[in-house]
Amino acid sequence: MKKRSITLFINGEECNITVQAHHTLVHVLRNQLNMTDVKHCCGRGECGACTVLVDDDKAPGGRKAVDACMVLAAMMDGKRITTVGGLEEDGKLHPVQQAFIDEGAVQCGFCTGGMIMKSVSILEKNPKAKEDEIRSELEGNICRCTGYVKIVDAVKKAGSWSTKR
Amino acid sequence: MSNSRILPEFELLVPQSVSEAVDMAAQYGDKAAVLAGGTDLLIMLQKGSATSEYVIAMGEIEGLDYIKYGKADGLRIGALTTITRMVDNNTVKKNYPALWQACKQHSAPQIRNIATTLGNVMRASPSGDCSCALLALGAAVMLESKNGRREVPMDDFFINYGKTARKVDEIAVEIVIPPVQNGVVSSFMRMTRTNFDLSKVNVAVQLDLSGKTCNEARIAVGAVAPTTIRIKKAEALLKGVKINDALLEKIASVVSKEIKPIDDVRSTAEYRRDVSAVLVRRAIKACL
Ligand SMILES: Cc1cc2nc3c(=O)[nH]c(=O)nc-3n(C[C@H](O)[C@H](O)[C@H](O)COP(=O)(O)OP(=O)(O)OC[C@H]3O[C@@H](n4cnc5c(N)ncnc54)[C@H](O)[C@@H]3O)c2cc1C
Repeated sequence: MKKRSITLFINGEECNITVQAHHTLVHVLRNQLNMTDVKHCCGRGECGACTVLVDDDKAPGGRKAVDACMVLAAMMDGKRITTVGGLEEDGKLHPVQQAFIDEGAVQCGFCTGGMIMKSVSILEKNPKAKEDEIRSELEGNICRCTGYVKIVDAVKKAGSWSTKR
Repeated sequence: MSNSRILPEFELLVPQSVSEAVDMAAQYGDKAAVLAGGTDLLIMLQKGSATSEYVIAMGEIEGLDYIKYGKADGLRIGALTTITRMVDNNTVKKNYPALWQACKQHSAPQIRNIATTLGNVMRASPSGDCSCALLALGAAVMLESKNGRREVPMDDFFINYGKTARKVDEIAVEIVIPPVQNGVVSSFMRMTRTNFDLSKVNVAVQLDLSGKTCNEARIAVGAVAPTTIRIKKAEALLKGVKINDALLEKIASVVSKEIKPIDDVRSTAEYRRDVSAVLVRRAIKACL
């Protein structure tokens, strides 16, 4: 097939679409569904800007972080997908988003969505993640403004909130 | 070579079982590429270093995501088992440290969540980290076609750069590693510029230290020849002797002579010669 009709559950909403077989998930999210919160950057799985969370019943929290440029949209049929635009709940930012603001962990902002999504998955696996673990888990996300210190601080802060609650 | 983030068009085939996949491989032959995680294939298609009219995407086949261990059978790793699953598996960590370390050091988390262990082998890149560990561990690849299954030892699997013993009508279904024996130990090491890069050189070693001397040794080195290779002359030096520093020096110099590295974007031949010798020495020491 050159095209496939699929159902995605994006940020909690059911979405029935027909996608081109050769289009990646990031391409479909941005160009077909106008979800420009997901950035398309290197297209080679190297920078992490397009990171989204996808169902994985064996992963902690039931979802895992993947590069949306490295998977075909057509192979995501039936999957739940969370993007940075879907993290907010009842008008309240996700703790990781709030911590990025509080710590000033954003410079140009292009890597931020991917950084936040990967950080959410780090804390879902281990809310007490320490500096070493955070840094090695963020290895697949590149910030060309190089504001890594504040990003790591923000993840630690968000982790400390969730363990207090 | 084109260099676009948009893939060229292809016809997507989505088998729901291994037998369907095998039928498709038989029907489309070399017009079809098999897609597991896609972290190699999508990039090859983007760059134009692979072209394919058909893509057989394995992702929806149930029951290929497994890691099973039995004392008689050894370890079996299904075709859709991701690198992350391997890193999270305690049997792999305890029984096959070389493979566990290779998976742990492979790429970055988002890629490890998609990429498969078997895909790494099937890509037949000389720098493949799992390939290197699996060669040292004496693993085999199970291939299935309409004529049934056949198990090809890793020793006979890599034919040339990017080329394996797989025939076009075959689908790889699992990796098989012999059961662990008392006293058999292994280790893996690689050299990269940053953790995230592909290996400039990687090394895996398996030693049988169950007796007073080393009974058996397997040494695999990657990114120093068109395929991952064993250094049999160095292995022979280890057999039946006690390992000491003088022997390790000798082995290191044999390794430098036996490999055929090239200059490329990641490193130079000269560097690879020096560093593979050092890594082999360190990997053997790590087993002692
Ligand atoms: C950013 C980045 C970093 C990387 N870092 C590393 C690294 O550190 N170390 C490393 O070794 N590799 C690395 N790689 C390469 C790649 O991720 C690995 O080789 C990976 O394990 C391949 O698995 P896959 O499932 O994605 O393979 P795919 O891309 O799906 O397939 C790879 C090849 O194998 C064939 N194939 C796959 N499955 C089958 C099957 N069941 N039957 C027959 N043929 C099959 C495909 O046709 C293709 O030719 C990296 C890649 C990227 C994008």
